[in-house]
Amino acid sequence: MLLPDSAVQSRQAAARAAWNVHVRALIGNSGGIQSALRAVVAVLLAFLATSIPILLSGKSPLVAYWSLIQGAFGSLDNIAFALNKSTPYILIAVGIALCFRAGIINIGGEGQVAVGGLAAAWVALNIIGPPLLVMLLALTGGVAAGAAWAGLAAAIRLARGVHEVLSTLLLNFIGLLVVSTALNGAMGEPGAGFPQSPLFDERVCLPKLFAGSDLHAGLVVALVVAALAQILLWRTRFGFQLRLLGGSRSAAGYAGVSFAAGVMTVMLLSGGLAGLAGAIEVLGVHYRLIDGFSQGFGFTAVAVALLAAADPLAVIPAALFFGFLQAGALAMQREVGVPSSLVFVIQGLSIVFALCAMGLDRRRRPI
Amino acid sequence: MHGIVKNYGAVRANRGIDLIVGESRVVGLLGENGSGKSTLMKVLFGMVRPDSGRIVFNGDILMDHTPRMAIAAGIGMIHQHFTLVDAMTVPENVMLGWDHAGLVLNPAGIAARIEEASRTYGLAVNPADVVGKLSFGQRQRVEIVKAILRGGKLLILDEPTSTLSPPEVAGLLGVIRRLKEQGRSVVFISHKLSEVMEICDEVVVLRDGAVSGHVQIADATRESLARMMVERDLLAPVRRTNRTPGAPLLTVEGLSRRDDSGGQQLSGISFTIRAGEVLAVAGVDGNGQRELLDSLAGVTPAGAGRVRLNGIDISRMNVRQRLEAGLAYIPVDRARTSLVPRFTIADNLAMRDINRPPLAFGPFINARAVREMAWTRMADFDIRASNPDVPTSSLSGGNQQKIVVAREIGRQPKVLIAFQPTWGLDPGAARFVLDQILLLRDAGAAILYVSAELEEVLTLGDRIAVMSRGRLSSPAPRETVDVTQIGMLMAGAA
Repeated sequence: MLLPDSAVQSRQAAARAAWNVHVRALIGNSGGIQSALRAVVAVLLAFLATSIPILLSGKSPLVAYWSLIQGAFGSLDNIAFALNKSTPYILIAVGIALCFRAGIINIGGEGQVAVGGLAAAWVALNIIGPPLLVMLLALTGGVAAGAAWAGLAAAIRLARGVHEVLSTLLLNFIGLLVVSTALNGAMGEPGAGFPQSPLFDERVCLPKLFAGSDLHAGLVVALVVAALAQILLWRTRFGFQLRLLGGSRSAAGYAGVSFAAGVMTVMLLSGGLAGLAGAIEVLGVHYRLIDGFSQGFGFTAVAVALLAAADPLAVIPAALFFGFLQAGALAMQREVGVPSSLVFVIQGLSIVFALCAMGLDRRRRPI
Repeated sequence: MHGIVKNYGAVRANRGIDLIVGESRVVGLLGENGSGKSTLMKVLFGMVRPDSGRIVFNGDILMDHTPRMAIAAGIGMIHQHFTLVDAMTVPENVMLGWDHAGLVLNPAGIAARIEEASRTYGLAVNPADVVGKLSFGQRQRVEIVKAILRGGKLLILDEPTSTLSPPEVAGLLGVIRRLKEQGRSVVFISHKLSEVMEICDEVVVLRDGAVSGHVQIADATRESLARMMVERDLLAPVRRTNRTPGAPLLTVEGLSRRDDSGGQQLSGISFTIRAGEVLAVAGVDGNGQRELLDSLAGVTPAGAGRVRLNGIDISRMNVRQRLEAGLAYIPVDRARTSLVPRFTIADNLAMRDINRPPLAFGPFINARAVREMAWTRMADFDIRASNPDVPTSSLSGGNQQKIVVAREIGRQPKVLIAFQPTWGLDPGAARFVLDQILLLRDAGAAILYVSAELEEVLTLGDRIAVMSRGRLSSPAPRETVDVTQIGMLMAGAA
């Protein structure tokens, strides 16, 4: 044992226990209709349960939910907004799902998004060249930065035995502060009064998919990534090795799969996807780097990956659900006066119900 | 204890055992792995409910009791794996889960009582210590203090010397003597003859779940105890052809290995297995068998030594390279190592071969080849399931082990190493596994078969050796094997 510190060990044990109870139940087998059904029922139950506080505040849940739906789907602009919101969730959650499959818990999406956005912004602001090339370089820079950030956590895990839950979590704060520091210093817009970078040259930003719509090309990238991840997980030797590591480390060793190589690769992959999400957010939505732009992405993506039962393709509907829910939240607040934060209650309850349903399913299974 | 019977499914763990322990007596309980010692003690301590039988302790009948009630009655059990919290001090561990510690804890008072008991019994336990910093011997003493303070009149020590160094063993035997002088009784579970001879007043020997001998220590010799422990008629295997072994296939020279803290796990192991030959290795669990096999298979790195397979040096190869060189391995741990329970049958069958054609296609998996291979193996090895996509966890233990056997034998290896492949199987499934291994031998493979079940070793081996404390005895041909001698070797007495 590399770490004599028993406190860290007991925290690791707690993390492992939580892993055993929930995540293992989640990734029992490949998705299938059953787990899709479970997720849908969980979401419906979450809406049902959230009606109670809405009723208590004297509002009608039906009216509130209708305005939520209107806000999310009411116009093409609204839909484009929601799709843009879902895009980073798809990318980050696909990476997290791959980690879950390998038995690794990456909750550092937020920090990886932050440094990915930072790197992309630096490239967009400082590299001079053909716009398309700069854009591709900026995206690549985002991927590299995010991968490095996650790789750091993996290296700490492998070299010193610090559980990745701790290292990825703590690297989140560092990543956020690195962005802040950059924006308050060299990369900040002079005289803006808010920590943000100058606007990028519009030609290096992501193209829109349709004229007159805000929907940017990032969505296509995210969908392709999810499909590729599905193939990677179920149709390649590497994917098999990941699943083997997640299934049993002892069995993986027996089959000649290296734990260190597996952990490092899947963390680099996952961090790279989060970094890509950060770059896409910066280049596709804001056109500049803004302090705190990554806030909440990492943890929402963990929830998305859980709701999707760690299935890369199922991440797409799960991420769309969260994106549209959040997109409709403001409309609900505006029209009906129900606080938009209630959608986070719905998100949270969906996950709780989904996990309960899966736990129940596992208990009934004959051993 | 009278007529204790306990069956686990088809396995008859205890079949009518009588055990009487008098006051101030140290009774040795001797037997191989799986002879029923642990089950009997679990019944006594209330961890397992017997199917029938009667327990009388101090004049009271104990029935349907829990460990808590057993402790209250005055029975203490010290398990092989300690039940202590590493991060707590000695008094905190003693108070943990003890009703008499009171609602408001009094660590100083407990510490004083620990010191007193420690003096009386020569335990040398310091109450200020945190358990995590103590050696195994000291932790064991904390367990003993715990049992004594809880009022234990009868202490059950389950293989107490297995993790101790020789001076610690001597110290423990001294403690047991003191316990006896103070009017307490001890059940001493062991398979080490020398310790049993030294400390016990009488010995009860178990074999196959029944008492095979009960002697006063004065009337016993090591030889007689060893014979009682292992004696049996050799069973003729179902199919066994006599054949002359061919060229050497697996040659091991001077294999040694130390654990992380420098303890010697394997010392200078050398042997040769020829084509069409089974080398069967007996031995009590935990004497380096797992380390030997894991090292041979490349799962854990070996220290010094050379391993040659069919003339090729595989000592520096990794798991995959050894696999490709023709080395198959059936590990003992089905739940975690040789199978992933929630994988499908097909995935488990493909587990170790997924990186090579025909199952691999560049970086991709040839899903069709995997399915075809799975159907073939399921048919060849009689794996009973509707299709290869069934999760392995839904199969019986026997069917699960058939997957492992199918995977390892199905690729027709040059050398097979197997570690207790019949563990936990019913007799029919066990026979199937043994027959498959013999078929592979007849096809000209070299087989290293390691088991704690002496009967299997004697049935299967063309040559037979014993592993004890990381050493391998020199293999003897099956015809010349002396069972008593093997029992002595297993018990570390020869």
